[in-house]
Amino acid sequence: MLNLKIVKEKVNDFPGYLKSWVKTFTGSLTIFCLLILFVMPFLSANQSFTHVFLRQFSLAMIFAIFAASWDLLTGISGQISFGHAIFFGISGYICAYLIKYQSFPIWLSIIISAVVAVIFGLAIGFPLLRLKGPYLALGTLAMSLILLKLFLMGSLSDWLFGSEGISALPGLAATPVIEYFILFIFMILTFVILIQISKSKFGTILKSIRDDEVGSDASGINTTKYKIYAFMLSSFFAGLAGGFYALYIGAVNPTGNFGTVLSFFAILMASLGGLATISGAALGAFFFIFLEYALIEIGVVEIGNLAIDFGLYKFAIFAVILIVIIRFAEHGILKPLLERLKDLWDLLLGR
Amino acid sequence: MGVILEVKNLTKKFGGLTAVNDFSFEIKRGEFIGLIGPNGAGKTTVFNLISGFEKPSSGRIRFNGIDITGMKPYKIVNLGIARTFQLVRSFKYLSLLDNITVSCLSKRGKEVSKKTGTDNYASSILASVGLIDKARIPPIILPHGDLRKLQIGKAIGTNPELLLLDEPFSGLSFEEQLGITDLIKKLHADGVTIFITGHVLRELMTLVPRVIAMHQGKFIADGPPVQVANNKIVLEAYLGRGAKIA
Repeated sequence: MLNLKIVKEKVNDFPGYLKSWVKTFTGSLTIFCLLILFVMPFLSANQSFTHVFLRQFSLAMIFAIFAASWDLLTGISGQISFGHAIFFGISGYICAYLIKYQSFPIWLSIIISAVVAVIFGLAIGFPLLRLKGPYLALGTLAMSLILLKLFLMGSLSDWLFGSEGISALPGLAATPVIEYFILFIFMILTFVILIQISKSKFGTILKSIRDDEVGSDASGINTTKYKIYAFMLSSFFAGLAGGFYALYIGAVNPTGNFGTVLSFFAILMASLGGLATISGAALGAFFFIFLEYALIEIGVVEIGNLAIDFGLYKFAIFAVILIVIIRFAEHGILKPLLERLKDLWDLLLGR
Repeated sequence: MGVILEVKNLTKKFGGLTAVNDFSFEIKRGEFIGLIGPNGAGKTTVFNLISGFEKPSSGRIRFNGIDITGMKPYKIVNLGIARTFQLVRSFKYLSLLDNITVSCLSKRGKEVSKKTGTDNYASSILASVGLIDKARIPPIILPHGDLRKLQIGKAIGTNPELLLLDEPFSGLSFEEQLGITDLIKKLHADGVTIFITGHVLRELMTLVPRVIAMHQGKFIADGPPVQVANNKIVLEAYLGRGAKIA
């Protein structure tokens, strides 16, 4: 099976590959950032620090996984998803339900909820597969709105916990610091897997479907099969993020877990970093989570007689940023940023 | 030397328009055949029907005895028919090498590539079409002639028995045409059955020993180029009634 071959290739080449990667600028910069993230929790034992500031990092890591899953489906495979909140929300609800009402252990619930997200990925993938481009985007958006309404106010909503959802969930771990490290490890695992997939022969096939589906068909590729694989992989990691998010917040409810703003975040974060880069999703996630945090912290600013609440206008600001990206940095800021940093580094070293 | 492709009473209607009308012919293994006809005669539609990109309204298509009528394109590719497109297509954000690699990863391509490794197989194909020095470049900056070569390379990756080339010379300079001609001749010498359409007649007529002519979806002639070129109905189709070649 194709997936086993990828793993075998990876395992065989890994040590040499890792060594040469660390020596590159991108590699060492990544290791450096990961080291900073690793020591972050130890910088202060102050309660306010760990419970507020550190948790922003945890939130960013959850969204990094979510945005990366979206990039795999849209950026790499060309299947535009405007409804990624579907997988995020379904997984969050299943996870919450299993933990609170079935007393399942946390780890089992997270895994099961991610698998359910995959099943949803299949269920949604099949009917929507014939759609392309903007039609697929609309189809996925419609699906997510249907689910939102279903949970919020449909005839089944009482059975589905209604607008209040499920609350009083235990946290992912006993302390925010442990929660942070668990998410740190999962973020690294997710990115390693997704980046390796995008660089593999399997990834090449996905990209060929994105670039020219008819051409890929004419090259003997069963495009339907690979599109389904892409949906399944993407929904798994989106579901993983969704499960983590439910436990991070401690509750699930329709708007909070199925809201279109979540789908919007995935698109925004992955686009800022750069479509089809996978790593860009992490950059985008951290950027927007901290921007949001900063805007809320700035709060209300009084300029003369006007009181501007930055926290309230955050979505307007995000939308403007998205427009600016599309206009000036269509392929995302990760690659240009890395190039500038590398030039700066070379300059500093006197090359 | 058996029959590799058998097309019987092939008809394709698009609403009120009959693009292909009761079209029948046979191709033997190893042949080198042209399909000619003026613009709009239905040549590309015939190719689309054979390769699975369109479903016939009626009629049957058999490849090596297997009924492939209405089969999905990728399945037909994996039985041994590859095609190129009139308007050049490529995977625009992949390198040239990756463009070829995709075909090498088809079920049929893997049967070959598993012996030498996918990268080696793709590289050798890229070299055989003369594009190996541009292996890492994406197709966007390539000249038209190179894109046509790339398309043929992509088709080769699936290790076809029958190769359908849809207007492989259109838009090419004289030198570029020579390059493509050499490539096609080499493929034919290697045993691939070639079915090629065109309306750049000069090239085609000197290249192939047998030509099938069609007009308004209908079969009008089949035979050696000189014979078909002098066929009254063919002349009328291209030049209009009452025309004469001086």
